[in-house]
Amino acid sequence: MTDPRFKSGLILPNRRRFLQGSAALAAGALAMPYVARADDKVLYINSWGGPWLEAAKANLFDPFTAETGIEIRTVSPVSFAKLAAQVKTGVYEFDVTTLGGGDIVRANEAGIIEDLEAPYEGGLFQNGVASHAFATVMAWRTDTIKGTPKSWADFWDVERFPGGRSLQRYAARVLPIALLADGVAMEDLYPLDIERAFAKLDEIKDHIRVWWTAGAQSTQILRDGEIDMIGIWHGRYFEAEDAGAPVAMTWNQAEIDRAYWVVAKDTPNMEAAKLFVEFATSAKPLAGFASQAKYGALNPAANEFVPDSAKSRMPTSPANYPLAFEQDMSNWGGDPHEVSARFDEWLAS
Amino acid sequence: MNRMISRLSEQQNLWPWLLLLPLSAYLLVFFAVPLADVVQMSVTEPTLGLQNYEKVLTGSLYRKVFLNTFMTAGIVTLCCLFVGYPLAYLMAHTSRRNAMLILLLITMSFWTSFLVRTYAWMVLLGNNGPVIWLIQSMGFEEKPHLLFTRFSSTLAMVHILAPYMIMNIYSVMQKIDKSLILSAESMGARGASLFRHIYLPLTAPGIANGSVLVFVICLGFYVTPVLLGSPREQMAAGLIGHQIEEFLAFGLGSAMAIVLLGVTLVILGIYHRRFGLDKLWG
Repeated sequence: MTDPRFKSGLILPNRRRFLQGSAALAAGALAMPYVARADDKVLYINSWGGPWLEAAKANLFDPFTAETGIEIRTVSPVSFAKLAAQVKTGVYEFDVTTLGGGDIVRANEAGIIEDLEAPYEGGLFQNGVASHAFATVMAWRTDTIKGTPKSWADFWDVERFPGGRSLQRYAARVLPIALLADGVAMEDLYPLDIERAFAKLDEIKDHIRVWWTAGAQSTQILRDGEIDMIGIWHGRYFEAEDAGAPVAMTWNQAEIDRAYWVVAKDTPNMEAAKLFVEFATSAKPLAGFASQAKYGALNPAANEFVPDSAKSRMPTSPANYPLAFEQDMSNWGGDPHEVSARFDEWLAS
Repeated sequence: MNRMISRLSEQQNLWPWLLLLPLSAYLLVFFAVPLADVVQMSVTEPTLGLQNYEKVLTGSLYRKVFLNTFMTAGIVTLCCLFVGYPLAYLMAHTSRRNAMLILLLITMSFWTSFLVRTYAWMVLLGNNGPVIWLIQSMGFEEKPHLLFTRFSSTLAMVHILAPYMIMNIYSVMQKIDKSLILSAESMGARGASLFRHIYLPLTAPGIANGSVLVFVICLGFYVTPVLLGSPREQMAAGLIGHQIEEFLAFGLGSAMAIVLLGVTLVILGIYHRRFGLDKLWG
C-alpha cells in the first residue's frame, strides 16, 4: 500500500478515464453494425441452410463474388418477420431473401420489398424474380410402412398404413393436401373449399405427431424414424434418402411452390442486391444451382444447361410435372391470413 | 472544516451511483427503451387503441395458451420441488466431499447450453433412443410415444430448471441450526412429526425462493416446448413468436408479451409482500 497512486485523489482520474474508456467502448460496439453495413463490398443474404445453402454457395454466391468482387455473407434463419422488421427499424440484417408464392403477395402488399424489373421474359411476379420450383411431396419409412402409399388419401388411411404422421405447420400448403385426400381432383382444387378442408383435417389430427416448422427438422424426424409418413419438401426428402435412411416418396400429387428472389425495401445495399438477383436468375448460375439442389429452374433459358441426370429429382421434369400440381395463390379461395389464424386455433383446440 | 468534511462525504456518497452509471445506461438502452417500444407497439399496431389487449384477453386461443402456460409452469415448479428437495437434503446432510460431487454434477448440466440439453432429450426419448429400447427390452410390445408430448417437454423443462430449485433449498438447509433439530428431538419429536413441524418450516424460505424463480423463468420458455412439446399444448412465448413470424402481428405479439410480463410482475409483487424480493439472492 505504499504505491503513491493509491493516496490522495490520484486514483479518481484513473477511474474516470476507465469510465470514459468503457463508454467509448460501448459506443463503438453500438456503432459496429453500422460500420460493418457501410461496407458496400459485402452483401447479406438470408439463407435456408442445408442443401439449399450448399447449392447456392457453389453456384450463386462464390461465382458472384468472383465476378463482381462483392463478398456474400449469409444470415439464418429465413424470417418473414425480420424482413418486415428491418424496413420498420431501418436496421438491415440481410439485403436479399427468397419468398414462396404465399408470402410474396403479402410482402408486396405490405410494401416491405423493393420494386424490381423482370430480368427475363415473364420472370417477375409481385416484385419477386422467379427463381426455382420446389415441391411438397409425400414420403414414408419403408421399414414401418408396409406396401406403397400412392396418394394423399393413403396418407389419411391410418388403417392400411398405420403409423405417426407429420405435415408442415403452414395452412396454405396443408389445406390443398387435405382436399386431395378427400377426393378432389388436382385440376378442381382452386378456389379451395376451406370448410371441407378443415373437416378432412379433423380426421387426421390425432395422428399428426409433429407439425414441422423448419426444413432441417422435417429431415431429422423422417431420418430418425420419429414419424412414419410425412409431407416434406422434396430437397429435404432426398437429403434423408442420401443419408441412407430407409425411405421412399412419390411425385404423385406433389404440391409445387415457386420461390422468388426479393430485395429488402430501402436497403443500403440496393445496387449490389439488385445485381445479385439478376445474376442468380440468369441462365448458367441458376442452372447450376437448380441442378445441384434438384430444384426446377424457372428461367427457361437455364434449362438447356441442366443435365438430364439431374432432372429425375426435379419437380418440373417432363416425367414428374404431369403428376404434380401448382399452388395457385391468385385464386386461392380465401384470405390466406384469416385461414392461417383459423388453422392456428384449430391446432390448439 | 465541518463543511469541508460534509462536502467530502457527499462526494463519496455519489460514487456508488456513478459506478452504477454504465450498468444503468446499458439497461436503459437495451432494456427500458426496447420495452417502451414494445408497449408502444401494443397500443399502436396496426391502429391506435386497446384492441390488441381486448383480443388477447378475450380470444379463446390466447386464453387457452395463457392458461396452459401457467399450468405448465405450475407443474414444472412442483416437479422441480419434488426432485430438488430430497437432493438438496442429501447434499446438506452428507459429507462435504459428497456434497461437492453432487453440486458439480448439477452445475455441469446447468452449464451445458440450453439448446444442447433440449436436443439431448430428443435423442434420449426418440423412437430409436435408449429409453424406448429399455421399455421394449422389458417386454412391452407397443412402442410408447414419448417425444412431442406434454411429458417430454415437461421433463426437459424440469431438467433445465431443477438446479435453481436445488441451489435455493440447499443454501437454506445448510444454514439451519442443528441444535434446533436436537432440541426438537429432546422434546420427543420424531420422524414425520419432526420434519413437518420443525424441518419443513425452516426450509420454507428456500422452497419459496426456488419456486418463484422456477415458475417465473418457466413462464417465458420458448425453445423447449416448441421443439419437444405437442402442438396442442403451446406456451405463450412460442405463440408470441409465431404471431410475429407468421402474421407480422407485432401489435398483438407485443400485447401478449406485456400481459405475460404484467402477470409475472404481479406474482413477484405478491411474493415480495410475503417474503421480500431481496431474499431471492440469499
